[in-house]
Amino acid sequence: MTTLIRLEILRTLRNRKFMFFSILYPSILYLIIASGASSTDKVPGTSLTLQNFYVVAMASFGALTAVLMGNSERIAKEREKGWVRQLRLTSLPGRGYVLAKIASGAVVTLPCIVVVFIVSAVAKNVRFDAWQWLALTGVIWAGSLVFAALGVAIGYIASGDAVRPITMIIYFGLSILGGLWMPTTVFPDWLQTVSTWLPTHAYAALGQAVEMGNAPHSKDVAILFAYFLLFSGGAAYLYRKDTLKA
Amino acid sequence: MTTHPAPTATVVSFENVSKSYGDVRAVADLSLTLNPGETVALLGPNGAGKSTTLDLLLGLRPADTGTVSVFGTTPTDAIAAGRVGAMLQSGGLMEEVTVREIVTLACDLHRRPHPVNEVLSRAGIDQIADRKVNKLSGGQEQRVRFALATAGDNDLIVLDEPTTGMDVTARQAFWATMREQADRGRTVLFATHYLEEADAIADRVLVLHKGRLLADGTASEIKAKAGARRIAFDLEGVIDEPALRELPFLTSFDVSARTVRIQSTDADATVHAIYSLGLYPRNLEVAGLGLEQAFVAITEAEEAKAA
Repeated sequence: MTTLIRLEILRTLRNRKFMFFSILYPSILYLIIASGASSTDKVPGTSLTLQNFYVVAMASFGALTAVLMGNSERIAKEREKGWVRQLRLTSLPGRGYVLAKIASGAVVTLPCIVVVFIVSAVAKNVRFDAWQWLALTGVIWAGSLVFAALGVAIGYIASGDAVRPITMIIYFGLSILGGLWMPTTVFPDWLQTVSTWLPTHAYAALGQAVEMGNAPHSKDVAILFAYFLLFSGGAAYLYRKDTLKA
Repeated sequence: MTTHPAPTATVVSFENVSKSYGDVRAVADLSLTLNPGETVALLGPNGAGKSTTLDLLLGLRPADTGTVSVFGTTPTDAIAAGRVGAMLQSGGLMEEVTVREIVTLACDLHRRPHPVNEVLSRAGIDQIADRKVNKLSGGQEQRVRFALATAGDNDLIVLDEPTTGMDVTARQAFWATMREQADRGRTVLFATHYLEEADAIADRVLVLHKGRLLADGTASEIKAKAGARRIAFDLEGVIDEPALRELPFLTSFDVSARTVRIQSTDADATVHAIYSLGLYPRNLEVAGLGLEQAFVAITEAEEAKAA
């Protein structure tokens, strides 16, 4: 199983174009969206400045983009080519496959996050304590694994031409409703309630808690953990049951 | 680990297995048994249900009804135990990795792996071990698939149209390696529509047509079942057609100019009867049907019955 994990990571690193654009994308988006954001105005209801809010939001969003898009499309393609059929003829358990895919996702998200932070510090003069930078990197990276697992599951639910639109709907839906694009405090009350139960909201909340100098809320950690189990368990089940024929 | 089966144990058993895709019956009430050490060809035209049969055997699809067991357990458990190696027609390869990396992966995932270098050289891909998998020719890809199927100490090897895309030399080399596996006591099951392969390599041939098992026996038994041997001879003078048509054991009859061509289920008796008629056949030839003709005869007979 370690060989599979190693190979999945190697393949991702060898895919230079994918790595390059995945890493660049969140930083560019951050510069575009955050360029107009005020560094003194606060996010309604919090002590967070808009500028700082966007650093964490875009780092999270970028990490999520890379793993969700990367995993779902690549897996759907691998299923069509029959590689997954071949793999199912080995003694590899479903969780081994999902774990390897999540690991390969983690390789992309770490540089995504770090580059957004560097860009924000250099170009927008964003400042946090050293422990906050480290903790932000850690929680955003760990949280991205939830979406890597979701990417694997989507790659199994959808096939062929349907993968991209389905991924897009889930991706934009979760990102906007979860508050990665704008603070959820601008939403109507009922939507805010829905939002708090989404994995993206819990994900953004991890980083925001650290930004305000606190530890992440245990409710958010629990929500993310539950989604991680759901997505990775579902993906492992679908891997074993897959009957798609090339 | 010594989990090898007792020599008498059944390797694969299908009991009344059926599988449909919508309205199409791919496999219909199929029952068969594979024994240890056999090399078995699964023969049939496209759409006969060969690939579905292999999918069922490998647990890639569930059967609608009936039971499939491999080494006395479910296909999935037999595979997890590292007893089955398979090379699928539809089996893709991992991209962006080298041949050596993908073979190392297969060895790592096997419960009873062979050394990587041994697997590479046996499959004849040690020369291309550092090449990227997505830069291989069709025949080279097939050999990589073969390496994946033989990465460990399997008791059963399943091959779906293994020589597709190989030239004649590669095909011969492939079967030489395969025979080596069979000689080591492994059971080999391969699907093919190359009849000469079934004829030359298999101890036993299963003929599949429209999802049903039409014939099960050695290549020569299959030929016998199809009716027969060909007899051809020339006659001088007037040919007494009605008398010839009365010859025993005939399955077909044809006269052109002086040459008589017939097929008989018992060539010895037919030839004897020709002499008994007081005829003196010249250029007498008695030959067996090729497996190909036998196969066509069996499937045609089946179509005629169904019509």
